This record gives sequence, C-alpha cells and structure tokens, in this order.
Amino acid sequence: MRQGKKIKFGIPGWTLKEPIEKLFQDAGYEFKINEKTSAVFVDDPELDCFFARGKEVAPLIERGILDGGIISKVVIAETKTKVIEIADLGSLYPGLETRLALAVPFKSSIKTLKNLKGKKIITRVPEITKTFLKRNKISARVEFSDGTNESRVPTFADSLVEFTNTGATLKFYNLKILEVLMKDSIVLAVNEKSLKDKWKKRKLEDLAILLRGARLAQEYAGLMLHVSNDMMEEVLKILPALKKPTVTQLRGENWFDVLTVANKKEIRNIIPKLKKIGSTDIVEFPLNKVVI
Amino acid sequence: MNGKKLKLGIPKGSLQKYTIKIFKAAGFDIEIPERGYFLKIDDPEIDCFLLRPQEIPKYVEKGKLDLGISGDDWILETKAKVIEVCDLKYAKQEIKKVKWVLAVPEDSKIKSVRDLQGKTISTEAANLVKDYLRKNKVKAKVEFSWGTTEVKPPRFADAIVDITETGTSLKAHNLKILDTILLSSTKLIANKSVWRDKWKREKIEDITLLLQGAIRGEEEVNLMMHIPEKKLNRVLKILPKLKSPTIKKLTGENWYDVTISCKEKNTRELIPKLKRMGCQGIIEFPINKVIR
Repeated sequence: MRQGKKIKFGIPGWTLKEPIEKLFQDAGYEFKINEKTSAVFVDDPELDCFFARGKEVAPLIERGILDGGIISKVVIAETKTKVIEIADLGSLYPGLETRLALAVPFKSSIKTLKNLKGKKIITRVPEITKTFLKRNKISARVEFSDGTNESRVPTFADSLVEFTNTGATLKFYNLKILEVLMKDSIVLAVNEKSLKDKWKKRKLEDLAILLRGARLAQEYAGLMLHVSNDMMEEVLKILPALKKPTVTQLRGENWFDVLTVANKKEIRNIIPKLKKIGSTDIVEFPLNKVVI
Repeated sequence: MNGKKLKLGIPKGSLQKYTIKIFKAAGFDIEIPERGYFLKIDDPEIDCFLLRPQEIPKYVEKGKLDLGISGDDWILETKAKVIEVCDLKYAKQEIKKVKWVLAVPEDSKIKSVRDLQGKTISTEAANLVKDYLRKNKVKAKVEFSWGTTEVKPPRFADAIVDITETGTSLKAHNLKILDTILLSSTKLIANKSVWRDKWKREKIEDITLLLQGAIRGEEEVNLMMHIPEKKLNRVLKILPKLKSPTIKKLTGENWYDVTISCKEKNTRELIPKLKRMGCQGIIEFPINKVIR
C-alpha cells in the first residue's frame, strides 16, 4: 500500500443500492452495503466508502469532503453542484432508460407547455423544474412532493415532473408525457482538487476504467465465428464497430477466426445474418469487463 | 460402460451448497429431491448419497463409500483412515476455513488452557478436544454436546470447544475465545482399497482433475487485448507469469492479439495499467475450468 493513502468515496442509496453493489462486484471488488448501519465493505484498503443519500453525496464531493462518488445526473442538476464527471456509467437499470418527464392527465386542458401558466406542479426535483420553467418563460407553482406523485395528479396538482423508466406507472394513473426534461444516468463524479493530487487522480481514473468496463460487459457479449476469405468483407460490415474485430487465419486454410464484442440486443439480429452469409462455428460467450 | 459404479458421499449442511456448486462447475449436475437422501447425478457411473459430514469419513474408511467430501475436523474426530485426494479450498469468500475454538465465559477464572484442569468442557468434537488436552498435558472432563453448545457455560459446562466464523454468536453468549484448536478445510477423501481398483482410481482421478480445474476456473479469468507491435515486448513484461500468453498477429495489421488467463483479483490492477500502456479492445471473460 502506498503510504496509507485513501480515496473517500460516496455511494448513494437507496434505490441505487443493488445496481451499485452489482457494478462493483462485476468490476472485481468484494462489495457489500449494509443499509441498517450504512456501512460499506469493500476489499480495497485504498478505498473508504460512505453510504448516504445521493442528494447528500453530491455537495460533499463539491466541498472536497469526499474525493468522488457515484451520483445520478439528475442529482447533480438538482443540487447544482460543481463536480467533474469522469465516467458515464449509463442507465441505472441496464437496458432501461430513465427519464425525467413532465406529465399531465390524459384529459387535462393542458395541451402545451404554455398552458402550464399559473398551474401547480408537484415534483421531487423542484430546482430542475423551476429552471426548466424559467427557460421556457412560464410562471407556474412548483411544490416539492416526495411520494408516489403519480397518484396525486390531478387531485393535489395539475401536473408533475417525475422519473419514468417504462412509462407504465404514468399510464396506470392516466398520465401522458408532455415533455422530457432530461435523461438520467449514473456517473462517477469527482472533486476538482482531488484530480490535482497525482495519486488520487490515478486511483479515481483506474476506478473509472474498471466500473465502466464492468458496466459495458453487463450489456455486451463476446462473439466468435469462422469466416472464409470471400465472405469476410460482408461479415465485417455486419459486425458492430465498438471493438476492432480480432481476425486471425486458421491454420493452412482460406478461413479466418473472427472475434468481437457486441451489444446483446444487437447480437439477436447479427447471428442469423452471419449464419445466412455462411459463417460457421458461431459462439457467444459472457464477458466480465470490456475496456475499449 | 461396464456397469461399474462409484459411490460418492455428499455432505449435508453447511458444506452442501458449496459442494453441489463446485461439482456443477466441474460438469456434474447433482439434484437434491425435496425429501429423501438419494441424490440424482447426471453421470451413470456415480451413485450419490447425502449424509452428515460427521459420518462420511467412517463410511469411506469402511468402503461403504468409495469417495466422499468432509472436513479435516470430522476426519480427525472420527480418526478415519482414508486417503486425502485433494483440498477443495476456495479462494472466494463463500467458504472459509472452519475455526474450532476454545471459549469460556467473559468473567471466568479460566485464563489459559492450563486452568482447564479438572473442569468440564462441552463439545460436538470430543476426540478433537481430548487430543488437544493431551497435547497440553491437561486433564479435564470432555462432554459430548448434541448442539447449541454456546448456551452451556457456565451452568452446564466450564468451557466449550465449538465452531466459529465471525465470533458473533460467542459474543452474544458472553463467551471469549481462549485458543484456536483447529483450522479445518474441506477435503475430498477416498477409501484405501479403492486406490488399488484401476477403474475406480482412474474415475476418482478424473473427477479430481475436473474439480480442481473448476476451483481454479472460479478464481481465474481470461484477458484478451490488442497490442501495437512496438509495445508488445513492454506489455508482455508486465503480464503475470502464470502461463505463457497466446500471441497471435492480427491479419494484415501491425497489431497483436494477446490472451492470458490470470487471477480475477489481478485484473483490477492490470486492466488500467494495460489501457495506459496503449492496449485496446481489452476484454475480460470468465472461464469454466483451468487445467495445467
């Protein structure tokens, strides 16, 4: 260990607990969050992890009490903190896109943003909502509400700004999206000063490489196939460009072994195409980390 | 097939889950029916029995079982004369060495082994304790315990010898550890005369090879990367020396594809380093078995 140096790192709860535990475990750490005691166990003596609400973590990073942490883009925007994002770790839930949306009841007289004038909007992110309204030159009442906001419109308010993944909850309460304010994703954010310390900068960047690599691997799989010379051009066109395919010649033949990685959802479409062209021995295998 | 069968004892209890898992990783699927102790294994040459780990060593000694899994503790306790084929130790946290400790009440006058003279010790492993006392030249009464040993001091016994992992249960009963008498790990054991049966011995050796390969496969991963020709030698120098890497030239390019297998733990340090050195398309993927 290098002179007992440590990175102080913020881990947000509570909805993020499971995806974050999995991410660190996939990155190669033994990692466990105990919600009752807020204790985080990580098998890296150079990493001191603190478990707190995302809204608390962001300002602590800005003030330098924490060197870095995992936070969502929405939290950064809501708390208006100045931090440096060194890695985008994508959606909170692999395969789903989390959006912050402004919604109104299906039958509402509010048809456009302009109609919001003088109306009441409830949300758990009042700062983002106010900024959004100001930008659109609308004056409306914004009220903080931290619950199942979907169920409170139209009884308590005319409109709401809320997170949505699939839109199912909004639909269940007969609400439709009028505007998407922002897409949410989780990022590795760090304090500016921590990056000036050479050791800390390196440690944080290494962590970013590993977490990003693990995150990509959750969505990607390896693909291996045999391709003959005359079909090579067509095959390379089909394969995604994320990683340069590894092409090696098979011994004494006009055939090549091609290895690449691809998004699991793309692979569904790619494999039948590859098969039709005539490639053989197509093998898909799971990945732990992908670092491009 | 010649109709020959190998009789295998699988330990019921704390070792059960791990044993089934490691056999599955080795390629043998063992199914446990809801009730009943006749296990199904997808190898017609093996008959599986679910038994208490305390009993397995004796059954193996007597030849009722050809092969079994148990701990050092029960092999020593039962004084069974068996062949220890291999250690089934596991680097990940899931199975730690079992610790047998001597514990007394916090306020006890017993401060060391010597103070046990003439006292009563309660334990599930009476022979282990008697051997331990003999070694320390102490005479004490050893009482066999059917379980819940922690509850017994001070009313039913002056001291206990019991298994502990975290020490939490001992602490909860106001007991403190005076000494560790045995660190026990999981062993694959075989009957002595079976070793002279060519078919059985080969079968056991094959199973052992696969089990050890699977254990190593759990600890190791494959790492594959693209390295530009001019950096190849520098990169090869920092790769772990476990086994020589597979180096292939990419067809028609001045890049090399290098694949190694290494301990999963090492990739945390290695991947960021490789990326900094200019390697591209680094992917880490799991392996099922490693045979060297």
